[in-house]
Parts: sequence; structure tokens; C-alpha cells
Amino acid sequence: MWIERKVLAQELPAVAGLDTRHVCELLAALGFPVDGVVSREGTEALDVDITANRGDAMSHRGIARELATKLAQPMAPLAPAEPVEGTPIVDVRLEVMACPVYSTAVLELGSGSTPLEVQSFLLALEASPKRLPAVDASNELLHRYGHPTHAFDADRIEGAVSVRWARAGEALVTLDGIERTLTSLDMVIADEQGPIALAGVMGGERTKVTEGTRRVLLESAYFDAKTVRAAARRHSLHTDASHRFGRGADPAMARIARNQLVERLTQWCGARLVGAWTAGSLPVPAAPTFLKTTLLTRVAGEILSLAEAAEILERLGCAVAMEAHGLRVQAPTWRHDLVIAEDLAEEVLRLRGYERIPSVLPPMEGPPQTLSATYLQRQKLSRRLAHLGFHQTVTYGFISPEADGAFSAPDNPPEGRTLSNPLGLEYSVMRGSLLPSLQTTAEQNLRQGAREVRLFELGPAYTSSPSGPREVPSLALVWGGTLGGQDYLTPARAVREADLTGIAHDLGLTRAPEVRSLGEGLFGLELPLADLPLAGDRIIPTFRPFSRFPVVERDLSLLVDLGQTYEALAAAMRVALPADTLQDLRCVDVFRHRSLPEGRQAWLLRMRFQADRTLVGDEVDGWIAAALGAAESLGAKLRA
Amino acid sequence: MDQLLPGDIVEAGRLFPEALAACADLDALLRLKGAYVGREGSHAAHMMDLLKAAPKDQKRDLGAAINAFKQQWEEALKIRQAELESAKKARSAQAANWDPSLPPPRPAEGALHPLNRLMDRLVEVFRPLGFHVEEGPEVETEAHNFDGLNIPEDHPAKASSDTFYLAAHPELLLRTHTSPVQVRTLLRIAPELATRGGVRFLAPGRVYRKDEIDPTHSPMFHQVEGMLVGHGIGMQHLKGTLEYALRALFGPHTEIRLRPSYFPFVEPGCEVDVSCPLCDAKGCRVCKGSGWVEILGAGLIHPNVLSYAGIDPNEWSGWAFGMGVERMAMMLSQTPDLRLFFENDQRFLRAMGGLD
Ligand SMILES: [Zn+2]
Repeated sequence: MWIERKVLAQELPAVAGLDTRHVCELLAALGFPVDGVVSREGTEALDVDITANRGDAMSHRGIARELATKLAQPMAPLAPAEPVEGTPIVDVRLEVMACPVYSTAVLELGSGSTPLEVQSFLLALEASPKRLPAVDASNELLHRYGHPTHAFDADRIEGAVSVRWARAGEALVTLDGIERTLTSLDMVIADEQGPIALAGVMGGERTKVTEGTRRVLLESAYFDAKTVRAAARRHSLHTDASHRFGRGADPAMARIARNQLVERLTQWCGARLVGAWTAGSLPVPAAPTFLKTTLLTRVAGEILSLAEAAEILERLGCAVAMEAHGLRVQAPTWRHDLVIAEDLAEEVLRLRGYERIPSVLPPMEGPPQTLSATYLQRQKLSRRLAHLGFHQTVTYGFISPEADGAFSAPDNPPEGRTLSNPLGLEYSVMRGSLLPSLQTTAEQNLRQGAREVRLFELGPAYTSSPSGPREVPSLALVWGGTLGGQDYLTPARAVREADLTGIAHDLGLTRAPEVRSLGEGLFGLELPLADLPLAGDRIIPTFRPFSRFPVVERDLSLLVDLGQTYEALAAAMRVALPADTLQDLRCVDVFRHRSLPEGRQAWLLRMRFQADRTLVGDEVDGWIAAALGAAESLGAKLRA
Repeated sequence: MDQLLPGDIVEAGRLFPEALAACADLDALLRLKGAYVGREGSHAAHMMDLLKAAPKDQKRDLGAAINAFKQQWEEALKIRQAELESAKKARSAQAANWDPSLPPPRPAEGALHPLNRLMDRLVEVFRPLGFHVEEGPEVETEAHNFDGLNIPEDHPAKASSDTFYLAAHPELLLRTHTSPVQVRTLLRIAPELATRGGVRFLAPGRVYRKDEIDPTHSPMFHQVEGMLVGHGIGMQHLKGTLEYALRALFGPHTEIRLRPSYFPFVEPGCEVDVSCPLCDAKGCRVCKGSGWVEILGAGLIHPNVLSYAGIDPNEWSGWAFGMGVERMAMMLSQTPDLRLFFENDQRFLRAMGGLD
């Protein structure tokens, strides 16, 4: 919100002597950081950031009040002459609790325009003056005192005025020229023809003040914050008035702002007051709040004198009664945010300055908790993978339905995982698989000239369920491109599916992983983290003795069918071999060539034996013969 | 004396030094050796034949001349042979050695994501104070994301223009902050709070807000939430903890500054600034010349948040903070565009995340 320095100094004369930088620092320390200062209209305007709870600060007077409290300096008095209230000229009926008080007046306008200094004040705030005194005066009051008011063309109002709930379907053309269809939750000002304003938000076109207006009916009311907020949101109509009523205006300002408006119109254009009156009365203030000494001490972190606290709260406008164990505090009518004792404690600390809060480490009250096994699992996995050459990615949790459909399981329909209000179709489904995002990222890296791409992501994949998407903590890996060829010792080769299988086993996967081909030379693998060992599973196991006798290694070169699986062949051979002596059996070479019999391939199988004694050549020969026999039973033949 | 020998031998003697120097390897040298001092057909053998045939009175002088020639040749050949042999040895030694400045094979180079690394770092900083890690789902209920945090029912953040909702489950949304982890954790541990002696934890994680993607906005980003509940917890404990943590993170000379602010789930609330770690608070582009950078929002837990979880705010109190991970990462690294963190170019990841 823009705050103009000259008017700020009119509200708080002490500001005139402070340099702008100092004012900005004071405001920041009070919780109103200044985002910028600009020079406009021969003055300086401060862009002050005001938090949503402080509707009372959304004006020059409000900001001045904060500074005055901090500096303990007096504000300029706020006392326009009270017009003598008389009998209503127009009947004003308050039919809803959301509008407890409505001050008004009827004036006959004379000639004369908005004073230049007011016009330049409005220009400095980027608010355009209309050169219609009734409109500009209302606008000036809003920015200066924070109380929104409105002027109707009194001659266009038909009969009595009421503040009531709109009837569903009733129409109102607001000042911006848009016809609004109202609901029964909208509070309106209406005459006998229908609504003439959306209460606290915007006036209506039919009764607006124009160049030709001769008589005005003023409105200076108090509208319930929640009702105004809801209406502004319902009609997407956020105005200076709705911002202020929506954050809570000062009901006591209703009458004062009406008087200020009358005073301005009288002075600016020789308006003549026809009559002034107020419908309704001020709402009953909330019960006082008790600030216990113990709570204040606890929040502040040190013992503060109750007298000092009382003095600060009084400077803020509170009525304070000092009692044995604390302060009984009645907040001023403009502070809707002071509700509980903690709110009052905050005010005391805020005005003393947060820099005075002591700094203490909180004492331990119980034993510290360990990190969870699943958290540690992810920490260790990510480090292991990074050391294996994989790059951790972070991609969006939502993807396009097409990408999702290509990877998600058939029993995981996207409907239960779809957003109702996505940024766009391509970000609309909570992904059933991490692979589409990794595939896209891998392809992009390869396009950007990467020789090899190794990526992993840890994150949830989503499964539709009747109660909503279920998160399955998952690991996805992709690997593609060219391996090696980067030095004189390592030959180049394309990444193969088996490379990812090896990684899966390295990470502790015991079953065969389902490696997917994601296109030319690019492979992907996705695993629920539940399939991988938890960190705690890796605590040192029970000792098992190992042999220190020599190892005997034997190779068997076999011709096997192209359709033969290694897993089945190895299983058959293992059965034929002594389990306690066989240390390892593996295929160390695969040879496929047209020189071999058609439909056959050659496998080189290597066996390592070791026992708690020196093995004799004959017994190993016997085992190899048995292993060969087992292989032959599956159609393998010893390769000549 | 030379006149005792025939002209061809004298000529061979004259050519010998040049022929010797021309021998580039041992083979050539052996051939030369054979031609001059070999057992048969050499100049030396030829001279011996001459000596045998010479008249007796000349034998003595001729023998001396021949010996001088032979001796001179043999010595020179021996020296040259040693030279060539050592050169050969040196060459074969070189062939066995590899230039150590050649690029060696290197293990593959991977990287952690910089955002994860930063979150891990924060966890490390808080571990010595007894903080553990709590986590919660990214698809949350409206109750956990808003209601339990004292966020009014008509708060603008709840609007579908700000928060993503699930089409088939209107009560479910993508959490807009890590704060629902507070609610979940407090609800879970409320019955055992006394036996545990309060609770203190960090909640790092991903959150979603309906922002269009641009250099400073992303619909998904990360936060780290911190919370502590105990007896008699006040603003001094928040300040003390953050001072410790931010000094552990940015260096022992770091100063922190609390400024009043407002979040519905804390009271009192504050923004926390840290003395600019990039310019030692002297003023730079990052801190816009002020020497301070805003780093997180914090405050004492609002009594309504404790009550919602079934914890008596008259007995228990605590503090909470929340910080934006991307914001901090961008500030520390001066990365110009937020989108780089989600593009996952391996070069960026290696440079910014790297390995531990
Ligand atoms: Zn700086």
C-alpha cells in the first residue's frame, strides 16, 4: 500500500523531522516492511507491506498510529465538527446484523472542485482523482483514514434505503459497468427499486454521482468483515473498500468519517447540509482479554514489568486494568486482531522491539528420536546411486494423461489421481510412475549433447484407491547412451539392459528387476522402495567361517539353444554340484555367430570351488561331469 | 708403418670411424664388427693371412702394425656396443612405462540434487539439538493443510486459484506447505507427549501452489518445516535455536534479526533475516545493499494449533518455522532461474549438487 510522506507527517508531526530511511527501518521493525520508495508529485511515496491481520494499518492514519506508538509521540487530533444529527431525510433500515451502524447525510452540492493538493495526494498514491468532489473526498478519506465511504446521487434513489441480503438472482450493475447476479449471501444497499450497492465492495451504476448530480446521500457504515470478503471473492471484485472492510474496519469511524466527508464537501464546493443522521448503533465490543503475567514472561523469555506492558498496550489504544496476576485489556475498536492473550503479548514484544528478545537454546526434556529407517534408506540410496554415477532429479509430481497412460499399471486408472484445476492438461495427473518424467529428462540431456545419461529420482508414485491417491515411495532409474571410450584403457560400448539389472542387484534387490526399454539405447527401472532393504537390515550379521584353502576354478564351454534361459540352466547345474563347495557359478561370456550351428549360442560357464581341505583334481572332474550332465539334460552340448 | 700394409687395409682403417658412427643399432654394429674383426673374411683375418705370408724379417714390424689396428678397432667397437645396448635398454624401459599425464579411467561421476542436498544439510544442522525428521503425504486433506493450522475457513489460499484439488476427491488437495506435517505429528504424538518430554522435528518436503512456471515461480517447490513443543517455550528459544542453526549453516559470525509478521498458525509471528552470507553484511546485489536477507518465517505455535491436536496449550507451548528451500538455494548459489532446478541437466546437477 502506498503511503505519502507529507500526509503521514500531517497525521504524525514527529515524522516530518525523520529521514525516509529511518521511517522505513521503524516500519520494518514494527512488522510493516517497505518494499520501495518512489518520488511522485513532488513528494515521496512508500510502498508498505501490510499483513492480512492488520486492516487497521491500511491508511495514513493507521501507519501514523503505529509510528506514534513506537516513538511515543502525539498524533494530530481527529475531530471534525460534529454536524447536528436530526431526523432522517430518507428512511434507512438496517435489516441484517452484518451492518450494525450506518451514518449518513444528505447534502446539496454547490460549485467548486477537488482541491489541487488532494488531487496530487491521490496521484501520488496512483489513485486517479475524478474531479467530482463527492467521489474524490470519499477516496481521500479511504486512503487517509482507512474508512471506506460512498456517495449516492440522492435524486436517483427511489424511496427508502435498506441494508439487506440480496434476493437470489437479483441484478446489480456495479460502477465498473458489469451486471452482477447476486446471491442470498450478498449484502446489498437497496432502494425500493432494487440493489444500489454491493455493501462494502462497490456502488451501483444507477445511483452513481456524475457531473450533473445536485444532491448526494452519503454512506459511512460498518460492514462485517467476513460478509464483505465472501462477496468480493464471489464476484471476483476486489476493491480498496472490500480490502479494508474485509480485514476489519473500525465501527467507531462510521460517524467520524461521515462528518469528515460533510466537512470536506462543505469546504471544497460549498455544499449545504440538508440533514445528517445515523441508523443503528455501534456493535457491542468483545469481552476484555486477560494477559497473565506468567504467559507474558513465558512468551517474552524474561520477566517484564507489568507496568511497562500496560503502558505499551495503552499507547496502542487499549483500555488496561492492572490486576494481581496480569492485565485485563480491552482492545481499541480498530484492532480486531487482538483476541487472545498471546496477541497482547506479541504487541508488548513488538513495541519493545524483537531485537530485545533474549537468545536461549531450548532445554532437552526427553531423549532424542532416531531417524526413521525409511528416511535413512532414501538417504543411503541417494548417496550410493550418486557414487555409482547417477544424477538425482527432481521433477513435478503431475504429468500429462498420455505420459501417465504409457507407464501406469492397467489396474491404476488415472481418474482417481486427476486434478480438478491443473495448470494445464500436461500437468493434470498425479503420476502413477516416475519413469515418464525421467524419460523426458534423459532425452533432453542426450539432445543437449550428453554422451551418457544416468538419472534417478526418489519420490512418490500414486495409486488410485477409493479413499484417494495412495503414495507409493518409489525409486526410478534411467540409463542410456555410450559407456567408456573416454580413456585409453576402457573401450566404448552402448549401455545395455543388463547394466541396470546390475545396479538393481547392487542396491539389494533380490528378485529379477523389470528393466524397460525407453527407446534407442535408453533403459528404465522403477521399484517401490519397500522392495529394497531398509537401512537397519544391514547391521553386521552373524559370523560365518570361510575357507582358507586354495580355490579351484573350472570353465565349461557349452552350446545351448538360443531360447535357453541362463537362470534355468544355472539352477539345474547347481543341483548337480556340491552346495557347500561351489562358491560361484556364472556365465562369463556369450558368443553368438553364424559359424555356430543354427539356433545355438555358446556360453562360457565358470565354476569356483573351495572347501575346508585341498580339493583333488579327480573329485572336481566328477562334479564338472555332473554339471555337464545336468546341462545336457536341458539340451546343452559341450562345445568342441 | 702403414706402408707395410696394403692400400685397401689402410683405406678400411681410414673409413672405420665414420662407419662406426653410422651404426644406428646393434645389428649394424655386429655387421661392422664382422667386416673388421670377424674370424673369417674380415680385414683382421686378411691381415693375419698377410702376416703368415710375410718374410721373416718383416714379421715383427708387420705384427705390431696389425695389432695396433685390431686393438683400436676392437676397443672402439666395444664402446659403441655398450652405447647402443644401453640405448636399447632405455627404449624398452620407456615402452613398458605409460605417460602418467594421459587421462586415466575414472569412476562415473553422479550427483545429488542441490535441493535435496540443502535439505539434508539442514537436517544435519538440527540433529545435534535432538531434532528428527517427520514426513507426510503430498496429497493432503483440507483439514490437515488448513483447518488444523488455524487458517480461517474463508482464507484466500483455499481458493482453487491458489491450491490444486483432486477431481474425484474434493476434500483432498496437494499440500501448499509442509505445515500439515505439524498437524499430523502433533495428532499422532499427543497421547504420549508427556512421556516423550515434548517433541522436536524437521519436516522437509515438496509442496504445491498454483503458480505459473516462470524464472521465479514453480507450481512445485520445497520447504523445510521445524517444530518444537515443550514446557515454557517462548520467543527466546526460537531465537536461540535459529541463531545456532543459521550460524552452523552460514558461519559463526552470522547475525540474525527477527521482524514482526503474521501467519495464522503462530502467535507471535516473525520473519527472520540473516546477515547477508554473500557479502558479510557489507551490502550487495543479493541483499539489495541492506546487508540482510530474509530466510524464513517463524513464531510460537498458536494455541489453536495445539488444541486442534488435543494438546493443552496451558501446559505445552512451542515454536515453529518454515523456510523455502529453492529461495535459499537461489540466494546462496545466485542461480538466475528457478526452472534450472527442475530441468535436471546433468551438468547443472554435477556443478550444483555434486557428491557428499
Ligand atoms: Zn549482501
